[in-house]
Amino acid sequence: MDKSTIICRCEEISLEEIVEVIANGARTFDDIKRLTRCGMGPCQSKICNCLVAGVIHEQTGMEFHQIPLPRMRMPISPIKLETLATNSTTFSSVKSVLDEVELEDGKVK
Amino acid sequence: METSYETIIIGGGVVGSSIAYHLSERNKEGIVVLDKKFPLSGTSGSTQAWVWVHNKTPSWYAEFSMYSAELYPYLSKKIGDVEYKRTGGLSPFFSELDREKAERLAEAYEPIGIKIKVLSREEALEKEPSLNPDIVGATYSSIDGNVNPFRLVDRYMRAAKKNGVQYSTYNKVTEIQKLPGKFIVRAEKGRFECKNLVLAGGTWSRELGKLVEVTIPINQLRGQILVTEPLKPFLNYTISGLRQAFNGEVLIGYSMEEEGFNRATTLDVIQETANMAIHYVPSLRKAKVVRAFSGIRAMPEDGFPILGKIPGVENLYVAAMHSGVTLSPLVGTLMTELILDGETSIPIDRYSISRFA
Repeated sequence: MDKSTIICRCEEISLEEIVEVIANGARTFDDIKRLTRCGMGPCQSKICNCLVAGVIHEQTGMEFHQIPLPRMRMPISPIKLETLATNSTTFSSVKSVLDEVELEDGKVK
Repeated sequence: METSYETIIIGGGVVGSSIAYHLSERNKEGIVVLDKKFPLSGTSGSTQAWVWVHNKTPSWYAEFSMYSAELYPYLSKKIGDVEYKRTGGLSPFFSELDREKAERLAEAYEPIGIKIKVLSREEALEKEPSLNPDIVGATYSSIDGNVNPFRLVDRYMRAAKKNGVQYSTYNKVTEIQKLPGKFIVRAEKGRFECKNLVLAGGTWSRELGKLVEVTIPINQLRGQILVTEPLKPFLNYTISGLRQAFNGEVLIGYSMEEEGFNRATTLDVIQETANMAIHYVPSLRKAKVVRAFSGIRAMPEDGFPILGKIPGVENLYVAAMHSGVTLSPLVGTLMTELILDGETSIPIDRYSISRFA
């Protein structure tokens, strides 16, 4: 690999960019992700995660078993919002900012 | 490694890093930031990062937020591109009752210089054609916007380091001892000494406070957010509930749950958030979600920032708040003034921790 080798294909992040943020103190996949966007694309790090672990190992000497895995989240593969939606318009945990504006005697509190 | 500093800042998130950067503009030496993990691993890295003003209440808190939002263009000039966009903010509403609230809000905020327009259904749809045609109206203010939180904290950190600030990360503070004229801070990677100590622990402030026997009444609030695939630019404004980033992805969410430090995402809230997205912007129905994430927000017991000196302990300071992204440019500026000059250009007495006593 040379420094222009693309490590994250979704976001087009090169080896050089990953090495640079490790030099700035990043130690985990998720640190690197937040600083470079590596692993934030549609595949959600399924392709780059082992490559990045290799770079962390080379740059810091951390053993592979010590390198935390990226945090995987729902969905496993991209899914349409309409598939998730239940079409309800009553909300409980989700708020509207105007819910937080309260009136008292016809005036904003 | 040097272990004696003028100032130690505990917490390298958006608040701690802003204080470090602003302090380093005037005081080039002797500043270290200690972070228990790595900046952006907590709240600052799991937010939609609205820079939001217009419907914060009460008016004095909105005014404080406005001063901070006003600093963003200047900050971007100094630390570099943080993808700050003053898009203007829209809060759609679906009932006439909310219009009443909106009208009162606009009246109350005019004297303090926050211009809020209460838009009719037609005006709102003209501004943001993708909104649900069933809306009743929306509040609008040009002061609101958003920023890329990753770029923001990274730029604060890089600018601070350039000015001589050191960062010691993956270094959790375990013990703090107050001696005459100095603090001894023990952390996983060693022992540090300083004259000034700033607690900027965000969600962990209460735990941090215990190390100096001070109650910092900050609780945790979980927010879950959905991220879509990049879409062509189609949202003109920051809508309270969702916004489109530079790269086209849409960030959606405005949920609040009391779940302590549990950062799980849960199907019920994800579904509700999807419902909200489609309720506000029906065309999002066909957009694909690539990720859900959750962040733990810091929530002071009364909702307002806890800022300033901690009474009774010389040279001990606290900066802990919700809305750290919106407030960070102002908080960094004011905390720097307080530490170096002993007073601030905008009064912060209202935000003193002594109000909880």
